[in-house]
Amino acid sequence: MGIITILWEKWVEFRRDFYKITLAAMIAPLMYLVVFGMGIQTTSHGQPYLNFLIPGVVSLTTMNGSFNAIAQNLNVQRLYEKAFDQVMISPTPLWQFIAGQIIGGSLRGFYAGGVILILTLPIDTGLIFNGWSFLVMFLNGAVFSAIGVVVSFLAKNHADVPRFSNYIIMPMAYLCNTFFSTEKLPGFIGKFVSALPLSQTSHLIRSISAGEGFAFSGIVILLAYLLVFTAIASWFIYKKKNL
Amino acid sequence: MIETRNLTKTFDDFTAVDSLNLTIETGEFFGLLGPNGAGKTTTISLLSTLLLPTKGEILIDGQTLKRNRPDLKRKISVITQEYSMRQDMTMDEIMEYQGRLYFMPRKEIRKRTEELLEFCDLLKFRKRTVRKLSGGMKRKLMVCRALLTDPEILLLDEPTAGMDALSRRQMWNLLRKLNGKNLTILLTTHYMEEAQNLCNRVALMDHGKLEEINTPTGLIESLGAYTVDEPGADGSTVSHYFHSRQEAIAFLSSLTGQASLRETTLEDVFVERAGRHLMPS
Repeated sequence: MGIITILWEKWVEFRRDFYKITLAAMIAPLMYLVVFGMGIQTTSHGQPYLNFLIPGVVSLTTMNGSFNAIAQNLNVQRLYEKAFDQVMISPTPLWQFIAGQIIGGSLRGFYAGGVILILTLPIDTGLIFNGWSFLVMFLNGAVFSAIGVVVSFLAKNHADVPRFSNYIIMPMAYLCNTFFSTEKLPGFIGKFVSALPLSQTSHLIRSISAGEGFAFSGIVILLAYLLVFTAIASWFIYKKKNL
Repeated sequence: MIETRNLTKTFDDFTAVDSLNLTIETGEFFGLLGPNGAGKTTTISLLSTLLLPTKGEILIDGQTLKRNRPDLKRKISVITQEYSMRQDMTMDEIMEYQGRLYFMPRKEIRKRTEELLEFCDLLKFRKRTVRKLSGGMKRKLMVCRALLTDPEILLLDEPTAGMDALSRRQMWNLLRKLNGKNLTILLTTHYMEEAQNLCNRVALMDHGKLEEINTPTGLIESLGAYTVDEPGADGSTVSHYFHSRQEAIAFLSSLTGQASLRETTLEDVFVERAGRHLMPS
């Protein structure tokens, strides 16, 4: 199965760069937790702000972990190393390549988010992380891996992926229900930002961690995003004349 | 068998390959020659589905080649002009990745890897990452990778570029041996000696169009099998071509300055065509 081949390739990469990947996944989220959660001590919705912040930081870490693992890597393989040619030429069905990238990227995001969860374990927050939280983390990673595949196919040079990160991923990391509730954003902007995948993920993980029920519609929305970006990535790989 | 029917590839308003009709028989060693920018690499990219044609089609054993035809892609291996490999993988990992992409059993991957790396004198470097290999070693590794999957069709885009003379000769011997086992080979090269030595037929391409197809001997004979070189006024060499040795000798004896007689090569044909017909407009 081609998916296993792609996951094997991701595993080789992960095994070799284990320390770099782990450290990179930890630094920024830890800073957010220390500065916003512990340095500036406030409350939110009657709870310590850290309880609001941790689910948001886990969500954005999952997003960053997945997106960066796929977009930058695939971009380098396609434009610089040309190693992507090896896959295109091979008989591995291209949909399996896409699926492998999405699952592999999602696992990387899941790992990054997991590291943050482990680091926050000593803090007595009372937050609950269970199978549902992990499912949402995985799904969030899958969505941003699929976006990563699309972005890497759209990129015309090496600077395009960091540019996309700057304009799209970074604002999402700050605005999408991570550091503050999207309810505080006015009118249309608030509604638009709430509909974005990271907002849905943060909301879902926060609800689950607070022991509240969560809306399945959030999961359906994430699945819809995953479907759309997977379809776009598949269109590129099968139909784009000059990939 | 490889067939291209009206194969055309345009990039915006530039036509890289223009209505290419080509038939390469099973077991044939076919050379694609032409100046830089003639469309050779684009043709290889189309045949390996890296690019999709703007018009026309490619048939492999009578069936249309598309990106979603793994059964046809299974038959093809490609050595691209660039080192298309992950720089952070070791030789062993590169080979395993290739084998896995072609759904080869793990045991067979290991066995074939050992044999091929040994043959190319790369075995002692198998744990070295691609980044740390010399250009020639990378080229050899690409050959090993392409042969790992036991293809029926081998597309070679300047496979010996960057190789030393000895390695190049070894590669020629290997390609001859493979071709002897009925492997169909399409080769693009800038080394005319290579094409002359290896190919059953060669095609001259320019501006994306096929200018001429013939056997290397046929092309040489069409120009004249014998060449008399004489020094030109500006220090260059002026070559004159003759169909018979007698004609050439008669011309040589009529010259007063230094001149020499030799057999015409495919390089002469290429230079002549490039000078007369294939010059960039």
